[in-house]
Amino acid sequence: MTILQAAEVRKFYGAFCALDGVSLVIGEGEHVSIIGPNGAGKTTLVNVLTGLLRPSAGTVTFKGHDIARLDPLRLSRLGMARSFQLVNIFPQLSVRETIAVAAISRLGMGGRAFAALRKNRLVWEIVERVAGLFGLAGKLEQPTRSLSQGDKKLLDVASAFALSPEIILLDEPTSGVSTAEKTTIMQVLARAAKETGIKAIIQVEHDMDIVFGYSSRIIAVHNGKILADGSPAMIRARKDVMAIVVGRP
Amino acid sequence: MSVASLNASLTGSTRHGVRPVHVVPLLGLLIIAAFPYIAGPHYAILMFSAMGFAIALMGLNLLFGFTGLLSFGHAMFLAIGAYTAAYLTSAKIMALEAILLTAAGVAIVVAVPIGLLCIRYVKIYFSMLTLAFSMLLYSFLFKFYPITGGDEGLRIKLPTPLLFDLSGLDTVTILTGPMYFYVFGMLIALTFLMWRLTHSAFGLGLRAIRENEQKARYLGVNVQRYRLVAFVIAGVYGALGGVIVAIPVGLAEPSIAYWVQSGNLVFMLLLGGYTNFFGPVLGAILFIFFQDQLMSYTEYWRLTFGVLLAVIVIFFPNGLMGVLDHRRVWST
Amino acid sequence: MLWGVNILISGVFNAAVLFLIAAGLQIVFGVQKIVNLACGSFYALGAYFGITALAWAVKLQLPVATFIPILITSGLLLAAVLGPTVERLLRFVYHRDEHFQLLLTFALVLIFEDIIRIFWGASPLQSNNVYFAFGELPLGHNVAVPNYNLIVIGIALAISLGFGWFLQATRFGKIVRATAENAAMCEALCIDLSKVYVAVFTLGVALGTVGGALVVPAAAASLDMGVELIVDAFAVVIIGGLGSMPGALVGALVVGLTRAAAIWLYPEFEMLAIYVIVIAVLILRPRGLLGKSA
Repeated sequence: MTILQAAEVRKFYGAFCALDGVSLVIGEGEHVSIIGPNGAGKTTLVNVLTGLLRPSAGTVTFKGHDIARLDPLRLSRLGMARSFQLVNIFPQLSVRETIAVAAISRLGMGGRAFAALRKNRLVWEIVERVAGLFGLAGKLEQPTRSLSQGDKKLLDVASAFALSPEIILLDEPTSGVSTAEKTTIMQVLARAAKETGIKAIIQVEHDMDIVFGYSSRIIAVHNGKILADGSPAMIRARKDVMAIVVGRP
Repeated sequence: MSVASLNASLTGSTRHGVRPVHVVPLLGLLIIAAFPYIAGPHYAILMFSAMGFAIALMGLNLLFGFTGLLSFGHAMFLAIGAYTAAYLTSAKIMALEAILLTAAGVAIVVAVPIGLLCIRYVKIYFSMLTLAFSMLLYSFLFKFYPITGGDEGLRIKLPTPLLFDLSGLDTVTILTGPMYFYVFGMLIALTFLMWRLTHSAFGLGLRAIRENEQKARYLGVNVQRYRLVAFVIAGVYGALGGVIVAIPVGLAEPSIAYWVQSGNLVFMLLLGGYTNFFGPVLGAILFIFFQDQLMSYTEYWRLTFGVLLAVIVIFFPNGLMGVLDHRRVWST
Repeated sequence: MLWGVNILISGVFNAAVLFLIAAGLQIVFGVQKIVNLACGSFYALGAYFGITALAWAVKLQLPVATFIPILITSGLLLAAVLGPTVERLLRFVYHRDEHFQLLLTFALVLIFEDIIRIFWGASPLQSNNVYFAFGELPLGHNVAVPNYNLIVIGIALAISLGFGWFLQATRFGKIVRATAENAAMCEALCIDLSKVYVAVFTLGVALGTVGGALVVPAAAASLDMGVELIVDAFAVVIIGGLGSMPGALVGALVVGLTRAAAIWLYPEFEMLAIYVIVIAVLILRPRGLLGKSA
């Protein structure tokens, strides 16, 4: 079943063409990695797919809705979540509170202005479960800004997961993190996806080990166009793609 | 994890024992309650005003401390409260409850359109826009003499709370007696209300917006709606506080809405500490009493306040409650 | 017709002075990203200082032709003292949240108001008859324009042109513009930012003090003038756009002419008119008419 679809999407920054006619279809059960050299348009693509940017031409549909009309808020209600390449946190809120924001949205309890939050068992159950999944259970009270870079990234992803979205887009979730932590994060991601019932993951990624280790499908982007779109085996066999993206045949 | 330890860790107070940050509000409450008995009428009436400012400041802090929006126009709501009291009492509607309800209603009617405009902008633009609206009200109050009494203002006669028989009592006795405790009761009730608001899911949403507006949006928080609600609630608290503050003065005049008054309100907030829930109340009391004492010693009280504000901004940005409470993270 | 000319001349005169203040605001905001609520205080201080200088000049029976240079010099001297001092104080909050910067300048507003009280008292001061000593320029049909207005307009024009030249053509001007674009980059290029900041801030103060000094023959110096000017200056900056010099010019003309027209035609609406325009601009074009994106 198609969840997310892009049709002939173009994005111009003035005269510069960042995306030049991108079309793709993402269905249930996919773990897609978007790869490509710097400046290829990967982040622009993710930003257009998640409604942060409007396409100059073409359409993006999420579950049948044209997302050009939808803002991030409504998209999150529909079931789309994302994490950010640059660490995006609530500095003074604790880990617990950060995840709680997402949990509250998911439970539709944002309008509760008089009920004491700390008595809301449903919210804290979700917070504990998600924190546990991401290995943050021991750090719940810490203010986010005091976390390590890797934990901040994990939290960014964890809070997106706490929305219980149908599709989640991750923009370089392991960048800025030590190699040892990278694998941990990916294992956590894979397990969390299974446990929270996410239908599809899209991941912008530079680390080829991770790309080939975890994806079910790889989309290679270059100069704003899709260079190749297929299974890891198929992509590995494409010498041109490997040369451009990795720098070696 | 048990609910009890959950609660404790939520408020961050896993440490046992009583700390200054807990003691000060309780002590303050006791002092306010006992004030008419321990201090003379002049000071009791000052405390009366301070309670009014405290209510107004709690609203301001909902906007600033919790949502991250610094309004330089909060004084306009105090003016709304004062002028509502003036119009109603001169129309022989003396019931305090009617005045308060009407003031709240007017505040809502005014705050919704102004809020819708202002919350689209952040930081400096929000401050400047709110300043502009407050000055718009000021100039309207100043110029339209037939309606507003111009710079002479309008008299406010002493309202009476329902169910209270105040006949035969003089103004001072009323203000330091039944009316004082009525207002004290209001303060308690409104503080409780604000506590519930800020400790609810809504309150967390506001703080998330303050910390990172974009991420809050991505996590499903309706930023514009939350900000508008906070703005309107702040306005209502401002108007209610404005009624209280204006009663002992007995006069509603345009300078209440002047931008420097808004600046004073922010000063009070910073003095008490905007990162703590009780900071506004403490700030209001400190400012009012300090101003009263200062004005009897020197005519150059502005200079003193300016220096004090500068010192606070540079060295003690979290105010007095911030000094007492060493945690940097916003605390209850 | 008569009132048309009067509105034009007094409007442009207002605009000239407003432009100077707004230019000071703009450059401080553009480079240091600080909104200086105390700009009105500098204006007021310039006015009071100017009156004192003028009174001294009159006592020494100096010729009328020296008055304007004296006013300008007094403004510059005051700025030379105030600028670095206040900038040093503001350094404490450069790296903090903008709210605190705003509040620190508000503290300055309070402090300066009492400083004026201490030195000059609470009543408004006037420079007697200096305004009329400059005479008038007859335009025929019994219409005459006060020379003083024309001179000040000319000075403001000269300053704005000189300013523009300074920013475009001189080395330091380029450094100032570069710092406004990207301070971190400038620092990396070994430009001493602290010197730039002191210079820019003092320049901003000077524009305020000179503006206040120049206004003195035409109006009284009063305690309110600084506080009232702030709102006008902000109206100028909002209408023209934060950070834009041409915007300051446009905004100054809009506010100056609107005020003059309102005073002559609909006095009740004098203050209202400005705020309505400000609010309209903020709603329709939040960047201001010529501003860069917020």
